[in-house]
Amino acid sequence: MILVYGGAWQGKLDWVKKEYGIRDDEVFRCSDKEMPDLSAKVIYGIEEFLKREQDSEEFFRENLECLRDKIIVCRDISQGLVPVEPEERQWRERTGRTMIFLAGKADKVFRIFCGLSQEIK
Amino acid sequence: MKIFVSGGCKNGKSTFAQKEAESIFKREKEAGRADTLYYLATMDPVDGEDRARIQRHIEERKGKGYVTEEQPRDICHVADVRGVFLLDSVTALLSNEMFGRDGSFNIEAAEKVKDDLLRFGSQVAGVVYVSDYIYGDGTDGLDLSREYMKGLAGIDRALAAGCEKVFEVTYGNVVTFK
Repeated sequence: MILVYGGAWQGKLDWVKKEYGIRDDEVFRCSDKEMPDLSAKVIYGIEEFLKREQDSEEFFRENLECLRDKIIVCRDISQGLVPVEPEERQWRERTGRTMIFLAGKADKVFRIFCGLSQEIK
Repeated sequence: MKIFVSGGCKNGKSTFAQKEAESIFKREKEAGRADTLYYLATMDPVDGEDRARIQRHIEERKGKGYVTEEQPRDICHVADVRGVFLLDSVTALLSNEMFGRDGSFNIEAAEKVKDDLLRFGSQVAGVVYVSDYIYGDGTDGLDLSREYMKGLAGIDRALAAGCEKVFEVTYGNVVTFK
């Protein structure tokens, strides 16, 4: 598993596509409306999926085996002020817990900054 | 030599950028390619507080050999092919172009500032661009601040791609990306 994260608009997906030769149709773009498609090579924007309160965090733990050959991309939402709305605070914490879990399991972790990569793990 | 420096607010970017600019200038001068070290100030002062801050920064740079140019817009007017520039900051330039004092908003500002900065880089002996990393939180932002963040990110990425060296300064420590 390869985990890629970085702030908004830093070029995370562009970097993944270029680095790993990924086509658009191999990317699943997450939303809070549906479960991620585990047949895709890249699962992009897991922070959007993690807006789901009920089952999103468990999804990653339960499907870890299927995620081993995936590239997972997450927007880093951890560095701002504490959000005013309780739902947003919970979302941020859920995302943080999930990222710690995934980063622990990932073979490689990269952070994207202004379109360039930094190898974290 | 073009260098891009970014990082969070009050992390030591300016101090680091200043050292980089001075070392580029020293090298370029020795090689006979440059004869002036400039500080390109981009802040557009709106009140006494801003003017006092600018004065404080001028005092801080005293004795370091900088010629200060204040140019809040259209920076290519002050480009000098034999000059090494410390440009602080990309963030302020975009803000000056995007948000008018009369409350107007220019949606095309980001493209214009990006073109200006890249062109500027090709017209000088050396430049250190200083930007701000403002993408760390989870807010999608209000419409205008979202446009601003998105615009600045596009500029940052273009500059990072075009510069020979790219650094992130994080609480006084420096991460080399390139």
